[in-house]
Amino acid sequence: MPKSQYVDPGKVFEPGFISFKDIPVCQYKKTLAEEKKIYTKDDMMRIYHDMRVIREFETMLNEVKTKSAYNGVEYNNPGPAHLSIGQEASAVGEAYALDMNDFSFGSHRSHGEIIAKSLSSIHKLDEKEVYDIMKEFLGGTLLSIVEKHMPSSDIKELAKNFILYGALAEIFARTTGFNKGLGGSMHAFFIPFGLMPNNAIVGGSGPIALGAALYKRANHKPGIVIANSGDGALGRGPVLESFNFASMDQITKLWGMDGKYPDGGLPILFNVFNNSYGMGGQTRGETMGYDMAARLGAGFNPDMMHAERVNGYDPFAVIDAVSRKKELLLAGKGPALLDVVTYRVSGHSPSDSSTYRTQEEIDAWIAADPIAAYKAKMIKGKVATEAEFAAIDEDIINRMTAVMKLAINDEISPRMDLTKNPEAISSIMFSNERVKSMDPSREAEMLVPKEECPRVKEIKGKIRTATDENGKPVSKMKMYNIRDGLAEPIIDKFYDDPTLIAYGEDNRDWGGAFGVYKKMTEAIPYHRFFNAPISESAIVGSAVGYAMCGGRAIVELMYADFMGCAGDEIFNQMAKWQSMSAGILKMPIVLRVSVGSKYGAQHSQDWTALAAHIPGLKVVFPSTPADAKGLMTAALEGTDPVVFFESQRIYDKGEEFMAGGVPEGTYEITMGDPDVKKEGKDITILTVGAVLYRALEAAKTLEEKYGISAEVIDTRSIVPFDYTKVIESVKKTGKIVIVGDAVERGSIMKDMAANISELAFDYLDAPAIALGSRNWITPAHELETAFFPYPDTIIDCIHEKIMPIPGYVATHNFSDVEKIERYKMGV
Amino acid sequence: MATLVIMPRQGQSVESCVITEWKKKKGDAVAEGDVLFSYETDKSSFDEPATVAGTLLAVFAEEGDDVPCLEPVCIIGNEGEDISALMPNANAEAVPVEAAAPAEEKKEEVKKEEVVVETKSADKDGMMKISPRAKNLANKTYADLSQATPTGPNGRIIERDVNRLLDNGQRLTPEQYEAFMKTGVAPAAETAEAPISAAAPAAAPVAEYEDVKLSNVRKVIAKSMHESLSSMAQLTLNASFDATQLMEYRALLKQNAEAMGLNNITFNDMVLFAVAKTLKNHKDCNTHFLGDKMRYFNNVNLGIAVDTERGLLVPTVFNADKMSLNELSANARTVIKAAQGGSISPDLLSGGTFTVTNLGAMGIESFTPVINPPQTCILGVCNITRRVKQVNGQDVFYDAMGLSLTFDHRALDGAPAARFLKELCTNLENFNLLMAK
Repeated sequence: MPKSQYVDPGKVFEPGFISFKDIPVCQYKKTLAEEKKIYTKDDMMRIYHDMRVIREFETMLNEVKTKSAYNGVEYNNPGPAHLSIGQEASAVGEAYALDMNDFSFGSHRSHGEIIAKSLSSIHKLDEKEVYDIMKEFLGGTLLSIVEKHMPSSDIKELAKNFILYGALAEIFARTTGFNKGLGGSMHAFFIPFGLMPNNAIVGGSGPIALGAALYKRANHKPGIVIANSGDGALGRGPVLESFNFASMDQITKLWGMDGKYPDGGLPILFNVFNNSYGMGGQTRGETMGYDMAARLGAGFNPDMMHAERVNGYDPFAVIDAVSRKKELLLAGKGPALLDVVTYRVSGHSPSDSSTYRTQEEIDAWIAADPIAAYKAKMIKGKVATEAEFAAIDEDIINRMTAVMKLAINDEISPRMDLTKNPEAISSIMFSNERVKSMDPSREAEMLVPKEECPRVKEIKGKIRTATDENGKPVSKMKMYNIRDGLAEPIIDKFYDDPTLIAYGEDNRDWGGAFGVYKKMTEAIPYHRFFNAPISESAIVGSAVGYAMCGGRAIVELMYADFMGCAGDEIFNQMAKWQSMSAGILKMPIVLRVSVGSKYGAQHSQDWTALAAHIPGLKVVFPSTPADAKGLMTAALEGTDPVVFFESQRIYDKGEEFMAGGVPEGTYEITMGDPDVKKEGKDITILTVGAVLYRALEAAKTLEEKYGISAEVIDTRSIVPFDYTKVIESVKKTGKIVIVGDAVERGSIMKDMAANISELAFDYLDAPAIALGSRNWITPAHELETAFFPYPDTIIDCIHEKIMPIPGYVATHNFSDVEKIERYKMGV
Repeated sequence: MATLVIMPRQGQSVESCVITEWKKKKGDAVAEGDVLFSYETDKSSFDEPATVAGTLLAVFAEEGDDVPCLEPVCIIGNEGEDISALMPNANAEAVPVEAAAPAEEKKEEVKKEEVVVETKSADKDGMMKISPRAKNLANKTYADLSQATPTGPNGRIIERDVNRLLDNGQRLTPEQYEAFMKTGVAPAAETAEAPISAAAPAAAPVAEYEDVKLSNVRKVIAKSMHESLSSMAQLTLNASFDATQLMEYRALLKQNAEAMGLNNITFNDMVLFAVAKTLKNHKDCNTHFLGDKMRYFNNVNLGIAVDTERGLLVPTVFNADKMSLNELSANARTVIKAAQGGSISPDLLSGGTFTVTNLGAMGIESFTPVINPPQTCILGVCNITRRVKQVNGQDVFYDAMGLSLTFDHRALDGAPAARFLKELCTNLENFNLLMAK
């Protein structure tokens, strides 16, 4: 909602028509004679070679899957193999037009893209560059294996062996694979050649590639980004969100800030390898209504995403199209969309019995095979002889057989030994690095010096405690609150790390729906801090792509409830890429989510347990200004994805615990360290999030009315979590109730109660009790006392489940009978 | 509206109960379900929970008082409430236990009185509910958990309950504690007077003797045993029988118990069975002697003497003669368990027509059991010993089980009693045939 753009009632109702340009469909018409002027014989033979390598590689995988042997070498591969036999011309054509600065993201069916772009890169780089890349990759392990067992004096031949071996070892889950076997067939990638992660979630690469394009655009990096997907992915919301996100007007209209910064759209090409099927669902004619996929471009921007449909069975047509799109993108005219028509002769996977298509159809496509057709065209056009092609074929088959023997050799290519090294995977779940700036070589682009940032000035004038020196509450306007605790380290990081960008719904101008980013707009340029469309998948997914490329991002989902809209991006992408890449990738993302109240069932949920359940995410939930600052600092300094929970109940809270108030300057808290907010000796109350303040009220009542001294500990972090302090407290008190606003069933409180029972069993005087909200929808605000834990709920729970308090009369029913009954009913 | 708490009637035969311990003092806040006081009949003990919440406003009986059933015990109401209407009589004011009275002395008394202990936190299965923390504390301090009043949820002993024991000096010696934790039975006699110090366990001075007041149950036992011996003409006949077949039969039962769905049938069960069957032919032995008349019973209600932590109890299996061996075994087990758990209904502690007592497990070869009046006979079961007999001129070893039958010569003569004993021996020797009868 930039004020510079006036929504004029006098104009918005003006009559007229939306007009569309024609979308080209298979318009490539060059003859071989014309092509000979563009491509040398070497180029042409290389195209054949590369297609043929892909074909042989996948033929080998298919033989292994279906016959457990290839060329006489036996092997059983239980893992997946989604083959693209028939699609080789598309992959090779695309890769031909790309270089190392161009990042390509793929899908579950991307072996062809990996091989094509690797071979193309090997061709384009000089020998030294190629050798250095191999030498540096994973400490040279792969190179030494290939040098020893498949040596060649020709560096580029060696490099071919290297990439085929690295890819196959990865597919066969060997530690010598590109990602130490942790990615596998659907996730293999090789960043040095611009090959970014491929994704097993259909369309998963859409928002991730978008993020890579954001990285290039916001950090002024060369090259373009390709999001490869199948046509089935066009049914996925995140992909369509990404089309829209990439097309948003502000990128071309606002990000340049009147010439202050480089202009132009996002350099991203959404490339659809359109093989007509999303698994078995026929996109054209059955599961989609677009007739031709290229039509989609017309819906997203006036440039119609420069959409075009090309013949993917003709590598020259693909080279031509991709080259033209790349030129557009480099000229700042992105995004672009290509509908590359191809066909998958192989099944979706080896278990596909092709029940959804006829043999007649498959035979017709086999007859039109792009490799055979290409060869015939070359022989007919006298580019090369049959014998020359035969020689290429023979070399490939021999090479493939050797690569396979090497990749299945358990001595040379072992699998991860989790018996000898049981924590091998533990060690790569998080990167746990501390990096102040992801790119120390650059200055951060900011509009004003830090001391002139309006928010910095405002915070400077604030009192950093909740009460003044006389114990009187500080007025709301003057008090440093949780918003400030969050903002301070974020602003610092904007000045320290040039790669940091922040976005989400209503971040700029509005200042974030809850005012955390207030008065920051004036200091941060648009391309680093902007309003995203209401596209949660694209917001989180793009942050993942941004981080993969080496940037740092803070993205916000406004309400924690909206995590549901970005489920795949949070749970499958953000959480998993560090470990799926065997630690090659870092994921410095802070995902801010805010837990609401007063707004009913879809705007009041504490989903800490969902985030904590997924391995690979760090999860924090601070409740005081100092903790907000300390944990935000830690999250931003780290290289791991952090789901940062905030609570709308307490944004206004001042610092009530830290003597001297919220520390000035850099202040960091070790993630995982809980904090004793009030000491006590009779019972421990461990809190998750905003319930801290209600727990303190309960503690006060317990102390004043019943002489029970409660120790209140704020978890602050959820993953990681150090139980030491809690166990110490339980050793002292013997009793613990863990309280949070999440619904009780499956909550993090339950998880902690189980762990505490396990760790402190001998010290417990009663079971560790988890107290959450009822297993209901969140009712209206007026009814919330019956739903969320309040001080009386906490005391009732203690009275009924832990230590009956003489003279106390409970109003909530925590009896065993009631519990069994409720669980029986599912509530 | 204040509520009057009366002494409940536990079973038709109970006239009065003795208050053993007050859990609340006058002026204490009382929540619904809180135990007000513990009390016992002559054979069982109970807790009286509050049925309403409020304050304990008046108390009409002290610990140790024998209160007739249905008589007022205390009043629960709101503080300051007028309870005059509920007061049992005009001079009630003189009776109440003063809440403000110094606790020390009383606790001392309580402790000494409660020599017959029970695990108050035991649930129906006899399992003690105690938190790990409380147990750890007790393990370290040897707190006398048998005396603990559980205040945790669901009758669980929690840390504060152990601390209360320690504050009251209610500790055991390490050996006693270990024994208690193993068996669930606390030593009846001495509790450790001084807190046990790990550093100087032997330092505590040992008193020359200790006076321990008799428990109600002990008093009842004493009275009835003395009456029995002083008012009857008791004499005992001893006999033994060849237990070979009995033992074989038991082995057979054991072997097939699971497959046949049988109980773990004991020798005692088999003796009980034989007694019940044999008594059908010996009506003189299945009688009550009522001074001027004899009462002959058509059914056999077998009393079974049970050694419990509270003292001797004799629960009854009614109509034992109508039962199969398996049924009798099951019924016997149920009443024995109930007697041992302290939860037995007083109605099951009377009504016997013939009693069996078994000291065989203790290696007793013969004894003179004391009749439980007004019954006229009691059979003592002794141990199994190896004996020799001549069969066809050969010395043959066999296992003999001893039986001691005491009978009241006022009610019957020696010959009928001996005939009963002889037939009983025959039936036991030929247990297989008895089963067929």
